[in-house]
Amino acid sequence: MEKEEQDRNMHILRTGVLSPVKRWSAKWSLWPCHFVTSCCGVELAHAFASGFDGERLGTLNMGISRQANFIIVEGTITRKMARALRIVWEQMPDPKFVNVIGACGQRGGIFWNSYNITRPSEIVPVDFFIPGCPVTPEGILRGVRAVQDKIALGKDETTIKFKKVALPSEVGQGSTIPTSPKRFAPTPLVKVDIPREVDWDFGSTTVSNLKSQLEGLYKSITITDKNRIAIKTAPENLMEVARKLSDNMGIDHTKSVNVVDVPHEQKFILEYMASSYSNNDLMPVIITLFTEIERKAEPEFPSITPLWDSADYSEREMHDFFGIKYEGNAGMNAKFLLAPETQTPLRKDFKLDEENYVFDDSPLNPKIDLPTSLEMPAPTDLYDEAEASDEFIILVGPHHTGSGHLRWILRIKGDIIVDVTPDPGYVHRSMEKIAENRLYIQNVPLFERANITDPFNMNLGYVHAIEKALSIEVPERAKYIRTMLAELSRIGAFFYDSGIFSLFTGHSTGFMYVWAIREMILEATVRLTGSRCTPSFIIPGGVRRDISKDVLDMTGNFTTAVNKRLKKFEDIFINNPVFIARTKGVGVVTKQEAIKYGLVGPFLRASGVDYDIRKVEPYEVYDKLNWEVTTGDAGDCLGRYMGRYEEIKQSLSILKQTVDALKRMPRGDVISGEVLGEYKEASEDIKGHLYHAYGNLVLPKGEWTSVIESARGTLLYSIISDGDSNVPYRVRIVTPCWMNLRGIVEASKGERVADFWTIYGSFGYFPPEADR
Amino acid sequence: MKKVTVQDQGLVEKTKCHAAAIGVAMKESVYPLTATVQYPRQRKKMPDNFRGYILFDPDKCINCWECAFICPANAIRMKEAPNKKYYPTIDYGKCIFCHFCIDSCTDSALRTTKIHDVAYKDMDEMVTLTEEMIEPPEIVREDTKLVEYLIDDKDLQIKKTREVDSLFMDEVPPSVEIPVVSQCIDGASCIGCHVCEYVCGSGAISSSIANGVMNMAIDTDNCTGCGLCVKECTMQILKLVRK
Amino acid sequence: MQEVINELLETMMSNQVSVPVIQPVIDMAAQVPMVGLGISFILWTPIFALLICPGLSTLGIFLLFFPWIERKLCGRIQWRVGPREIVPWLGGLIQLLADTLRFLFQEVIVHKDAHRPYFLQFAFLSFAAALLPLLFINAGAVIAIASPYGVQLLLALVCLFPLFILGLGWASNSRFAFIGSVREAFMYFAYEIPFIIAVLAMVILFGTSNPMLIPDKWGIILNPIAAFTFFVGAAMATSRMPFEIPEADQEVAAGPHVEYSGIAFGLIYVMCYEKAYILSALMVVLFLGGGGGPYIPGLTVHLGDLMGIVWFLLKVIIVMTTMFVLRTIYPRYRLDQGLTIGWGAMIAISLVALAWSIVFVFLQQGGVL
Repeated sequence: MEKEEQDRNMHILRTGVLSPVKRWSAKWSLWPCHFVTSCCGVELAHAFASGFDGERLGTLNMGISRQANFIIVEGTITRKMARALRIVWEQMPDPKFVNVIGACGQRGGIFWNSYNITRPSEIVPVDFFIPGCPVTPEGILRGVRAVQDKIALGKDETTIKFKKVALPSEVGQGSTIPTSPKRFAPTPLVKVDIPREVDWDFGSTTVSNLKSQLEGLYKSITITDKNRIAIKTAPENLMEVARKLSDNMGIDHTKSVNVVDVPHEQKFILEYMASSYSNNDLMPVIITLFTEIERKAEPEFPSITPLWDSADYSEREMHDFFGIKYEGNAGMNAKFLLAPETQTPLRKDFKLDEENYVFDDSPLNPKIDLPTSLEMPAPTDLYDEAEASDEFIILVGPHHTGSGHLRWILRIKGDIIVDVTPDPGYVHRSMEKIAENRLYIQNVPLFERANITDPFNMNLGYVHAIEKALSIEVPERAKYIRTMLAELSRIGAFFYDSGIFSLFTGHSTGFMYVWAIREMILEATVRLTGSRCTPSFIIPGGVRRDISKDVLDMTGNFTTAVNKRLKKFEDIFINNPVFIARTKGVGVVTKQEAIKYGLVGPFLRASGVDYDIRKVEPYEVYDKLNWEVTTGDAGDCLGRYMGRYEEIKQSLSILKQTVDALKRMPRGDVISGEVLGEYKEASEDIKGHLYHAYGNLVLPKGEWTSVIESARGTLLYSIISDGDSNVPYRVRIVTPCWMNLRGIVEASKGERVADFWTIYGSFGYFPPEADR
Repeated sequence: MKKVTVQDQGLVEKTKCHAAAIGVAMKESVYPLTATVQYPRQRKKMPDNFRGYILFDPDKCINCWECAFICPANAIRMKEAPNKKYYPTIDYGKCIFCHFCIDSCTDSALRTTKIHDVAYKDMDEMVTLTEEMIEPPEIVREDTKLVEYLIDDKDLQIKKTREVDSLFMDEVPPSVEIPVVSQCIDGASCIGCHVCEYVCGSGAISSSIANGVMNMAIDTDNCTGCGLCVKECTMQILKLVRK
Repeated sequence: MQEVINELLETMMSNQVSVPVIQPVIDMAAQVPMVGLGISFILWTPIFALLICPGLSTLGIFLLFFPWIERKLCGRIQWRVGPREIVPWLGGLIQLLADTLRFLFQEVIVHKDAHRPYFLQFAFLSFAAALLPLLFINAGAVIAIASPYGVQLLLALVCLFPLFILGLGWASNSRFAFIGSVREAFMYFAYEIPFIIAVLAMVILFGTSNPMLIPDKWGIILNPIAAFTFFVGAAMATSRMPFEIPEADQEVAAGPHVEYSGIAFGLIYVMCYEKAYILSALMVVLFLGGGGGPYIPGLTVHLGDLMGIVWFLLKVIIVMTTMFVLRTIYPRYRLDQGLTIGWGAMIAISLVALAWSIVFVFLQQGGVL
């Protein structure tokens, strides 16, 4: 069928007297349908922004599928998105062409054994595949050129030609095939409250305080690490303990909701990680409140949302993953993140495909069970219900110029938004499950893919959790490098969000200007690490290699260059009266609301909460540098944006300071000797020894939680290790966008329809990061 | 702590801002700060550490399987060559260009190139066999100019030169060579399963059973230090030590 | 028969577009029986206005090349290049030709929820309707229908546009098209009144509503407030950037256009350029001295009426470019803000413009000016 479809398109172009005209015009007018499905969209934007300007080739990005004739499928197509892809393709007029970019869209890339991805080539006929993760803009434009050549010249060819060279043939000693490097403990010991001796006075007083307050309600209270306390309770007491914590100590939000499946002990461990925004002393402390319940098909447990509303979406997520029914949570009757037909995939008895290290006859493209029906479920009941009350439903996304990769169900009355229902999960690539099947070091690039606009921070958080577990002290130079990289990616992520924000307000110049600045950031990144968006540069114990002087010089210069270009951006976009009219006083989130819904990062600070993990629980060298936290009072779109803008000016200053410090510092160790062990000499450059040093990394048993301030807010990694396997038992990631989703929903209610996009843009929502 | 407050714009302020915005547009239409690299006619210069397509040198390969083991995407799979050794093949339909394989390759048998812009007609062609990874491949190129982004302390400068950039670099050896060999640290615990002997591709391990006692010898000259025996040893009594 | 032709010829000859520089050629060709008739027919002012300038041919060339100018200029402002690779040495000049042909050969999809006859009719009708106002616009001394109520007729026809856009949205029967159409209707009421008042102010100022009789004076200097109102009104009428509310891509997915594909979309797409062309032409006539321009020795005399056309087109291009480049400068207002501006500030400003004109005329008649 696919072959036929493809031939049909070419057939239309080849037949008729006017065939040469048809072909010429189609060649130079390939309008890609703006179908952002995953993180390759970032590089697609680079290809069509000022850095490479795809419009030169006549390919004008068009938001509407009816008017486009070309789809560039940008990476992962999840089960949910598969339906959308097919529908968009069907909507396009003939003749039409499809390119698939990014490894995820081909054989899955790093998500090859994910339970939630499909292969686009099985859904629509594909003309060209472009490898990369993400594809470089050059690659995308090469794909466009390939399609052009196919149309005009009929040249349907791969653009790389390999030369075959005979391999050495003198027969040597044969050998058997080694076994997998992964090692799973048969009956792992899963405990989340392994005590650890730490020098933390406040902790011991807090624990004794807690013990007296929770008398009779708790089973144990343990200090698991500095700033980490675990409270074990009986299932029926958990709510009471939470209420006491909330009332007496000012613990006002949850950072994470987690479930650990322990099949061999027939139990689920239910965790709530709670912390405080209102009590300054408790700000860095994360209290893990956990209990154990019996493992069965659909266990029930009271929801904690009446107390901590911030747990709402995470509880729904756990319901999807483990089938636990949180009574009292409104979203328990349907899947939230996953496609409706999916089982409970994070239970341990749901197995993923294992790696195959040998090139054999096994099929290259393992079979994927596609969703049987490719119809997008439309909420018909909702339509009737809304109509009855004189309201109107509009579905925004997943294919919409202003939706990103998720669907919003807007319920409007006149021009006022009555209700917003998010429908996320269109880029849910099951990172948490995959991580349970990979070596610790292999998860570094995996987690980075959650957010390629902010890759260094994504790496840093995960690596921090490992370093915490192993108690590794990172060399000074590596710390400075990491701080520099983290700030670089913070700046990059801000500009990404600015670009999207300006597009959402209809300002394409703003988008182009910041994308030109981002091109400089990526140029710096590629020289620092060798990759534009996915560097995987920060590894446990340090960074992959030291950075040379001239690259540092360039990174230092970059701050001045950015300031120059930023001035223009400021004049044309930020100070533009139309922009201010659109954003001022729109989508206000008050301080109480922000805490209640558990907002994080700059969006929390914009509502007046002074909480920045870089100050609260300083990591790397943030405590040695001179910078300030920015907060605001307004809590509206403009406040959120300007708060971040101010923060970026601070980041530029931090960047400058770290670069100067690095230039003064002699070249030296960038990887901690503790983690290298036998390979201490490789401490300046890991080249040649990565597998030796990290392949068999095992974490001590227990739960290791790290929080860092990523570009869009608190990023939490929580690794549970059984102390025996060289793969994690469970990794929980809570990304800032996931927490901010609720903020978008609440801020939009009661605003005007067009304001939805300003609010959405002001929250800097990046769906792959939220969906993981 | 820095508090950000945004003042309301008065009429004068508004007019000024309108004028500033229009001013930027007018100025840019005359002297634009264009940042465009006109691919495919121009090509952006990539640094030498760029992570692109991977080349392979079978003469240096010690058959340690580490590239396959570390690959997070399982894109590298080992294929048996005529000489009975296993060499890597790369599936670019999976490869994520993290170059963990190159950083793991002890003897720099794998090296990077600056190729990154390739379009494949179908997915089966994306599997690159060992035979194809040895010689630098040819790609379709239309570029006549090389563009370099230079960031000096004023602004981004775009330097265009009329040359065709080579996409292949000299290989970079590991910064430090740490020669290791396998050694049995606790011969008494050996259960005589011969796994180490079978898995060794260089024939450095020989073992014999005499009087019910396993007698194992590792030929340190032949041992490549690949570490497969260490990994496979059921009793965990083998260890890599310095030569 | 011969008499009729002669009479016709006489009528035509009495109202010819005069181009002194090619007059000898025309005279020579006029000797050849049929060719002479043909040439005089084309050079007959109403036909010339209709077919050549400011009518169909000019419009056609505009539609083919103006979007290119817009895209190139916007690209330049946005630090990019704009269309280029199609003919690199001409800077991609014929990009729009490729786009148009592509649309022409692309499938036209009529989805099953659409009202099929109207869905297709409105696309083509709207294109035709947008041509009508061209009859009443003069490029210099060239006009198709010179009427003492030319400006009023023109305005009435311009106000037809939204009707067709509403029709497009209605026939599409899609949620986004519906919202877009409603927005268009709202915006129509918001800009129409100040827009008409601004034109009225100029009619009062010039004392005539016959475009041919409007002197070559620069209305923008005589009444800058009216010019500003007119320009903003025109930007609203053509959905240009700060007021691109009905077609907001990121909000309502191009609104009324969302379901159109192939040549039907192509026609709608160029309709917005047509609208802009007509309103810019009106702006040139009312505010920028129409076909008047500085005297260039040699050229002005030899080109005759063509010189007026050249000046006229030059000014139209400048006005249109300004109107389209707004999209690189401004984000989009919200619907309610657009309405507030239309019903509030714009009406106030337009009334001031009207008062200005009245005072101006009084002073002029009193001999002060």
